[in-house]
Amino acid sequence: MNDSISRETIENESIDPDFVERIVEAGADRIRTCIQCGTCSSVCPSGRRTAFRTRELMRKALLGLKEEVLSSPDLWLCATCLTCLERCPRQIKVTDAIVIMRNMAVKEGFMLPQHRKVSKKLLQTGHAVPLDEANQEMRKELEIPEIPPTVHAHEDALDDVKEIMKRTGFDKLIQEEEGGEKE
Amino acid sequence: MKDKQPEEDEIKLVGDKPRIGVFLCHCGSNIAGTLDIDELEEYAKSLDSVVYVKQNRYTCADPGQEEIRQGIKDYKLDKVVVAACSPRMHEPTFRVTVSEAGMNPFNFIMANIREHCSWCHEESGDSLQKAKEIIKMAVVKAALTVPLQKFEVPVTDKAMVIGGGVSGIHAALDLANMGYKTYLVERDESIGGHMAQLDKTFPTLDCSICIEGPKMVEAGRHPNIEIISFADIVHVDGYVGNFTVTIRKKPRYVIQDDCTGCGECSDVCPVEYPNAWEQNLGTRKAISVPFPQAVPLVYTINRDHCIECYKCVDVCGERQAIDFEQEPEEIEVEVGTITVATGFHTLYEPVRGGEFEAAQEGYYGYGRFENVVTALEAERLICAGGPTGGEVIRRSDGKHPKRVGFILCVGSRDVNKYEYCSNFCCMYSLKNAILVKEHEPDTEIFIWYIDIRTPGKGYEDFYTRAREAGFTFIKGRPYEVIEDSETKNLIVRSEDVLIGRDIEVEVDLLILATAGEPSFGTGELGGKLHITRSGDGFFMEAHPKLKPLDTPVDGITLSGACQGLKDIPYSVSAGSGAASRAATILSKDTVEIEPIVAVVDPDKCKNVDRDCGVCVDKCPFVAITAVEGKAAAVNVANCHGCGTCVASCPHDAIEQMHFTDPMIFSQIRAALENKPEEKILVFACNWCCYGGSDLAGTSRFTYPPNSRIIRVMCSGRVDTDFVAEAYRLGAGAVMVGACHRPTDCHYITGNHIAYERFQRYRKVLEGAGISPERFLWKEISAAEGLIFAKTMKELNQKLNDIGIDRIKEENEKGRKRISAPLKRKGLIPVIEIAEEDE
Repeated sequence: MNDSISRETIENESIDPDFVERIVEAGADRIRTCIQCGTCSSVCPSGRRTAFRTRELMRKALLGLKEEVLSSPDLWLCATCLTCLERCPRQIKVTDAIVIMRNMAVKEGFMLPQHRKVSKKLLQTGHAVPLDEANQEMRKELEIPEIPPTVHAHEDALDDVKEIMKRTGFDKLIQEEEGGEKE
Repeated sequence: MKDKQPEEDEIKLVGDKPRIGVFLCHCGSNIAGTLDIDELEEYAKSLDSVVYVKQNRYTCADPGQEEIRQGIKDYKLDKVVVAACSPRMHEPTFRVTVSEAGMNPFNFIMANIREHCSWCHEESGDSLQKAKEIIKMAVVKAALTVPLQKFEVPVTDKAMVIGGGVSGIHAALDLANMGYKTYLVERDESIGGHMAQLDKTFPTLDCSICIEGPKMVEAGRHPNIEIISFADIVHVDGYVGNFTVTIRKKPRYVIQDDCTGCGECSDVCPVEYPNAWEQNLGTRKAISVPFPQAVPLVYTINRDHCIECYKCVDVCGERQAIDFEQEPEEIEVEVGTITVATGFHTLYEPVRGGEFEAAQEGYYGYGRFENVVTALEAERLICAGGPTGGEVIRRSDGKHPKRVGFILCVGSRDVNKYEYCSNFCCMYSLKNAILVKEHEPDTEIFIWYIDIRTPGKGYEDFYTRAREAGFTFIKGRPYEVIEDSETKNLIVRSEDVLIGRDIEVEVDLLILATAGEPSFGTGELGGKLHITRSGDGFFMEAHPKLKPLDTPVDGITLSGACQGLKDIPYSVSAGSGAASRAATILSKDTVEIEPIVAVVDPDKCKNVDRDCGVCVDKCPFVAITAVEGKAAAVNVANCHGCGTCVASCPHDAIEQMHFTDPMIFSQIRAALENKPEEKILVFACNWCCYGGSDLAGTSRFTYPPNSRIIRVMCSGRVDTDFVAEAYRLGAGAVMVGACHRPTDCHYITGNHIAYERFQRYRKVLEGAGISPERFLWKEISAAEGLIFAKTMKELNQKLNDIGIDRIKEENEKGRKRISAPLKRKGLIPVIEIAEEDE
């Protein structure tokens, strides 16, 4: 969705016929039965406040508009509340499909700056949301240890976490991102 | 000829030894161009029991047929093998030929050396060897054939139609007009079905009862039709041509023959109760008819509501038609055919006697919000004869709505309720919208749809008319309806899919196009008739394309929506069609049944000792019964000859005539006599895979000549013992060729049962060390000749990749384990057991 008055024709090259297959293989197996009834969009709490159209995302995925779907910021507007999945008259795992596409997007190098930031935090501190002063203050008031028994308390464990992220290729995922950003 | 003509008494002396004649067809150059017929003749002569071999230029032509008849006469042949084309081509021809010479047609076997050999292989030593083995496989089978007689059963030339809706009425009228006495059994007080409840019909807007009413009356007074109304089917016995149906007539407390239908009783009756026929929107008296046009016009007392004031008895007076002592009555009728026309139900539709139950709560606030109604309720509101006199008004305040909403696909196309499309909702909703607008022209109409489906004659025009009428169509499935607690208006929320934005519309009456569902009691009736239902709950037809009105049980036909939702024109067509299908049986004195049926050996059947019943479960036609303590019994009239039970019987107590275990074992042994490890043994079902193999030949698709094909009627006939025997003898590969699942099987579920069986057996083979590539389940249709040829090539390639040595090694290693069940059952020839034990 954009405000542009012109609309581009969908060309052959934008259609990746294998795209849906990959989504199906990853678990959203009924996605091809979509009849575009719009139940998913209309129940979507996010869609009520944003331009996010779940149905449209499903349609684009079905058509194989891989690049468009994976690069779209819409993909990240889903709050994964699962309402669409529950209400779908075709029992399509809509939310699963979105999560699958998000994973694909990241692998292809599409990642929102916010997510990259959070990921970097995780790499550096072992926490997506590391302890800050305000939290420390709150813990004090609640009379629990100021430093939680996580990597914050165990410096050496942080190395292990980093090692895990290294072996799983998570660090690389973010590094690549820094190198050549597609967005 | 090597054999001198035997003397009469000599035949008697060697009575056990068959005398087989083999006729080799040149088929012009079609066969003789590729295969050396002289060599085939020499080979055939060398075969056991073959006493006469003759070459024909064209065996199927008159001279060729004459040579067969002459051969039978001159050489006292009792079995004949014709090596020529496919049995699917000329088996019927030669069966007649041999019958003319006094031989039983089931002593005739065809060797398919054209489609399976000369047409699909190059001229070579291997293809000639294949032809020889095909002939041998036919000869060994022929040697084991026995004369079989077709079964004939007499036909009772009376018909029954269950269900008196518009489809059943037409079926009954057609049967009656053809001259057959027809019993029309109706569960409710009157015939007429749903059509009688509708206001007008699409796309022509004829008044529904005005066109159905005369048909109801015609059925009511037709001399050949006996309407048995307010009655249930209790029990059905018998088989094609000979059904005995037990019917229970519910008491009306009014004597049908004495009631004049004057209605005076109803006038004086002081009690009213909700009329389910009017969707509980109106009431009826405790003694009444559900609607004025009822046929038969006989009043009924509802004892749940009657206060026994006997005012009706007084007013009926001398006519004495009221009888409070009436009891349910059971009657038995004999019919030759049964036509099922039990129709459908709609979601939330009230049933007679259900007035004490709370309203069902459903989709979009139905049952909770007063101004949400079903389409059938809307029909009664729109109808001038309905409870509001044709005023479309709101339940909450009796006012005319100004904004009326229609939601389509309520419960339809929804995996969580009914996955199917209900067929008629788009059209009836458009119709109701047009009628509402006609009644009150200033009404605004909103229609929520997913897709509008109008595939019928004149239907698209009708859609255009609705578009032109200025209705607002919203493509989108509403996710929520909420009620304004003050105005009782309804707010419908959905996405406008075409724009991609949420839309919220307030309407003051909401009509739901509720899904059609199988009629109440469909499952129970199906059980009594032994007919199955498809996944959607409706009755299953014998074939989705070519036998849509038949059921797998011969003599039982399907009419109308009970087979799947249909609108009026299609229900009427189906009614006439079902009547015509029934008449094909009723018009004959007897019905013939092919003798290739299953036969139980009572000495082997273990059901005598313990509850077994495997065959009963596996039979797709409910043709087998297994009473506790007795051997299972096959009802030949219901047996279709697929052989699924035969292969499924754990004790080999069932045999299929003409496709017996010994015959198939002998074919396997003949096929695998030479170089078994190089061969592909194919069990092909007659209707699909065998057809596909024929087509490969007809299309001249070439493939390696190392396959040997054994024809069975259904893949369900393929016993795991056959596969075991093939590997025991050292086969390279075994393929089971079946029809495509889920619906292509000629015997409903034979291929499903075969598939399950082979999924299990595959594990046994894997455990025995047989490479999985060497055992193939393949679904090939009769149109897939190319796929058959391709499959043979691929399988051959796989065998080459695995290599002869490894195949031999695997067979050697696995033999003991694979042969074990054969040994236990005594299926291995004694001489070979001795060899194996060495």
